Amino acid sequence: MNRLAAAALALFLTATPALAQTPAAPPPPEPAPQSSPLSGYMDFHFNKLERRPGELDFHRFVLLLNHSFSPRIRFVGELEVEHAFVEGLEDAGELELEQAYIDFLLSRSVNVRAGMMLVPVGIINERHEPPVYNGVERPFVDTVIVPTTWFEAGAGVHGEFGRGLRYRAFVMAPLDALEFSADEGIREGRQKGSRSNVRNLAVTGRGEYVGLPGLTIGASFWSGESSFSAPRLDTTVHVGEADARYQRDRLELRAQFAHVSIGDAGRLNQAVQGLTGVSPNIAKALRGFYTEAAYRVWNQGSPRDLVAFVRYENFDTQYRMPDGFQRLPQFDREAVVTGLTYYPDPDVAVKVDYVRLRSQSSVVRDTNQFNVGLGWWF
Amino acid sequence: MQTLTTLRALAIGTVLIAAAAANGQTERRVIKVNAERFAFTPSRIELIAGEAVDLRLRSDDTSHGFRIMGLDTNVAIPKRGKGEITVTLTIDKPGTYRFECNRMCGAGHDFMRGEIVVRERTAAAPSPRHEERR
Repeated sequence: MNRLAAAALALFLTATPALAQTPAAPPPPEPAPQSSPLSGYMDFHFNKLERRPGELDFHRFVLLLNHSFSPRIRFVGELEVEHAFVEGLEDAGELELEQAYIDFLLSRSVNVRAGMMLVPVGIINERHEPPVYNGVERPFVDTVIVPTTWFEAGAGVHGEFGRGLRYRAFVMAPLDALEFSADEGIREGRQKGSRSNVRNLAVTGRGEYVGLPGLTIGASFWSGESSFSAPRLDTTVHVGEADARYQRDRLELRAQFAHVSIGDAGRLNQAVQGLTGVSPNIAKALRGFYTEAAYRVWNQGSPRDLVAFVRYENFDTQYRMPDGFQRLPQFDREAVVTGLTYYPDPDVAVKVDYVRLRSQSSVVRDTNQFNVGLGWWF
Repeated sequence: MQTLTTLRALAIGTVLIAAAAANGQTERRVIKVNAERFAFTPSRIELIAGEAVDLRLRSDDTSHGFRIMGLDTNVAIPKRGKGEITVTLTIDKPGTYRFECNRMCGAGHDFMRGEIVVRERTAAAPSPRHEERR
């Protein structure tokens, strides 16, 4: 028994050092490769609208540049060619300077940014690389209610508190109300930092919570007097928006609601009619929302990532009309977008979708669409 | 006599096991950090000075960078589905250390930052938020 006890003691003595050791350190990680100062994304589409011939469109060619003057002073630029060819008119293509700002990184809670900046409204406007959203084209709500890509010259502050509570607050050039329309709302009113009139300034901001894995909840606003071209009007535009994204395992859900109000819309219509001879029938309120559910059918890591999704959108650019103006029901629309996104690499997305578009009009025919897209980030 | 010897051996063994268990409390904490355009979750990490931790970094989308300002830590986080990377970290000096994605990852890249708050070790220092132990 003595021998047994001694053997037990010896076993403890030999085992103890191993138990007491700090676990072996994992192999040291490889240092990060030097980040390239040039990156970007591309978006190549085939769009087939019902009763129309199909179109091949190199929709977006975007280059991003970044430079660090010091660890606390950074430059970011984003230059975009739309529709591959730039001519005098926008339909032929656009060359846009979507971002060109300097960030002064002061602390986690307060930083200063100035230059050409993205307006911090909605899911897509600040997060619009093709692999990060489903569907060949961006959501309709993020096109005619929130006019992405919405960028403007300005300055402001941004930062983060606690465990994932973030904010942005910017002062920017306002919209130009004389460019608003019945079908696309405030979209054509963006001044895009091109000699932007700042007789009045707009303020915009966003708060969001990103403190839980997979969940993002945000709300944003824009407010600005927009009738600098017709100073006797009081066309203040307010945009309010709320959104949420949630991802768990294979499932991803997202939703967004946006509301736009346009002050003095009746007199704005009269002013535009006085200039052009045609009333633009601008509404005094626009509204849109969408919900989307996506499921990762294959979830094995590239090249076996396949996402199926369905999105319901409801968007009305004639939601509330000023007194004396009739709403145009063809601009009260809803869409169901169903499709697939295949990722041969997490930065490359092959997309296909079908869009069933309906309006409240009994006169204007609905136009469904079939789209195929190839988008990539590098 | 034999019984007494056996009891002594068991007593010594128990003490050694207890010592080993106590020693095990200094094992590295594992903190999982998720990277996604354009946020780290969690974006605020609290440590005790001298505490060894493993930061397990993984991405939900593209490749991101992870650099801690003022330290040598500078690694690439693999793309989604291509694994994770572990950074073993011991910071002795109390203070606030900023970290950031230093690989351009999209239009909101500059928002992708966070901080590590290192507090002084005190006798009654509460354990930081418990994520996971090895």
